[in-house]
Amino acid sequence: MRAFIATTIIGVFGLNENKKILLYKPFPRDPEKIAEKLKLSEIEFIEEERFVRGELNKSGYDEVRKGDAIISEFVKSNLRKLALEKKFVRDQSEFNQLLTKVNIQLAKVQIKKAIGRGSLIIHANGAVEELDKAINIFVERLREFYSMHFPEMDKAVESNEKFAKLVEKFGRRENIDEVELKLLASKSMGADFKDEDIQMSQTFAAEINRLYKLRQDAAVYLEKVLKEIAPNFTELATPMLSAKLISKAGGLERLSKMASSTIQLLGAEKALFRFLQSKGKSSSPRFGLLYNHPLVMNAPESHKGKIARVLAAKLSLAAKIDYYSKEYKADKLKQDLQQKVKGILSSK
Amino acid sequence: MKAKKTKFEGVFEINGKFATVNLVPGFKSSNEELVKVDGVEYRIWDYFTSKPAAAFKKGLKIFPLGNGNKVLYLGLAEAKTASFFSDIVGNNGIIYGVELSERSLREAVRVCERRGNMIPILADARRTELYEDSILDKVDCLYIDVASPDQAAITIRNAQQFLKNKGWVMLAIKSQSIDVVKPPKQVYKECLQELEKYFEILDKVELDPLEKAHMFVVMKLKK
Ligand SMILES: C[S@@+](CC[C@H](N)C(=O)[O-])C[C@H]1O[C@@H](n2cnc3c(N)ncnc32)[C@H](O)[C@@H]1O
Repeated sequence: MRAFIATTIIGVFGLNENKKILLYKPFPRDPEKIAEKLKLSEIEFIEEERFVRGELNKSGYDEVRKGDAIISEFVKSNLRKLALEKKFVRDQSEFNQLLTKVNIQLAKVQIKKAIGRGSLIIHANGAVEELDKAINIFVERLREFYSMHFPEMDKAVESNEKFAKLVEKFGRRENIDEVELKLLASKSMGADFKDEDIQMSQTFAAEINRLYKLRQDAAVYLEKVLKEIAPNFTELATPMLSAKLISKAGGLERLSKMASSTIQLLGAEKALFRFLQSKGKSSSPRFGLLYNHPLVMNAPESHKGKIARVLAAKLSLAAKIDYYSKEYKADKLKQDLQQKVKGILSSK
Repeated sequence: MKAKKTKFEGVFEINGKFATVNLVPGFKSSNEELVKVDGVEYRIWDYFTSKPAAAFKKGLKIFPLGNGNKVLYLGLAEAKTASFFSDIVGNNGIIYGVELSERSLREAVRVCERRGNMIPILADARRTELYEDSILDKVDCLYIDVASPDQAAITIRNAQQFLKNKGWVMLAIKSQSIDVVKPPKQVYKECLQELEKYFEILDKVELDPLEKAHMFVVMKLKK
């Protein structure tokens, strides 16, 4: 036989298939505890539900379901009556008081959650940016340090990350087993390093490589948060730019309320200020951070401004969708955008 | 000083201003005046900052709210206007308030905590499935002030799901948030045409100049 469990603010009901109430296990009359139980019940069988399930099992109901839509609706629409019948409250006004208090607790939890997650983008992006800065400073120092020993490598290896990896792995210039560098090393004008000098540069390089790893982890994490909180905006903007724009705007909510012309100039505040100060003598900025978007970057100079404008318009729409509903519409938005960009590029 | 009854249940007039009897003596939603007349404390309902009061001022004839009513209020914001509704429906009534912005709702929670008949819900009014579990009652009245371009669709969906048969709807249409270019009259006309398919429109007033380019509409669900 099948039976159902319905959980309400006054406790847990057990019903049979004909919507007859077989069992009722009240909650303690404490709004905070009730709210906690309701939240928990969304993810597991809580104490009262386990009790009701157990009793139903004992009376021969081998299948006990929770969260059936029709049964829940039935109990919900009779709840005011039931609360009086079961003497959980004395009158409607007391029921309202309870309903209000429980819902206020639930709203507080929701608010906490919503506010918490939104700021994660800003913090994660801040972490990535600060790591970039720190890494740059350390790499500068490493390059100068190691150049005493092997000055030719500074020009030959442009990538900072590769530079640090080589130093950590090989230490002395003679040990480096890359054809081109080997050659340079054999004719190097650098000074000989003592063991302790080499060790120091290797330890330092290892630390830098750890920071690279950390930066990598932070970027992966940031991308995940972005996709959760701003899926449409991120798809359109690319993750790195998405994070920078949201941070610059002070969060998704503020971004979603910005005019698209403001988004177009985010990050160009200094240029805009200069323009306003010059009373029209210098030219007005056409874009800020959007300059780094592939669509703008790859466009011919004369079209960049126009493309930034249509891009900003679509980004503004995407931010609104993300803030208000999170419904995934990025594919459609992207298509529209590409259409528009094509139009601009084919015009003279 | 005298508190005169108006033609609307629970709404009074004191020195040319609208007022309600304060359900929670000493309570203020923001900086409204509290006035004592014959031992009863009233809260002044400012028609410059609250749309229903502006609608009264502009000659609204029907205001379908009364003691014991259950109300679904979309666009709760900081619960200022809703707190006057809470005075009117009293302890046997209830206001379910839905608001999208967590910052606004945080302020609203402070109001709700002191009232006993107001329920704050953080949700998007377009997505009724996210809050249907919280609305226990079929409501007598639906109030919509979400200032969003798809107000009409939001109104229809929520009315069909939560309103009693022949239940009341009050809607504040903000022309600017539907279309910034079209003249407000045109926007109202199109919006009302859409609504007429589902509702009987019984009263409407434009709120200018108290609220720029706004219309206040009172209607009834057809079924
Ligand atoms: C004009 S204000 C409401 C003012 C309020 N009725 C008063 O008089 O005190 C509009 C509110 O609707 C909210 N809002 C906008 N779109 C919404 C949606 N889809 N669902 C819920 N609330 C929404 C906004 O966050 C804003 O707080």
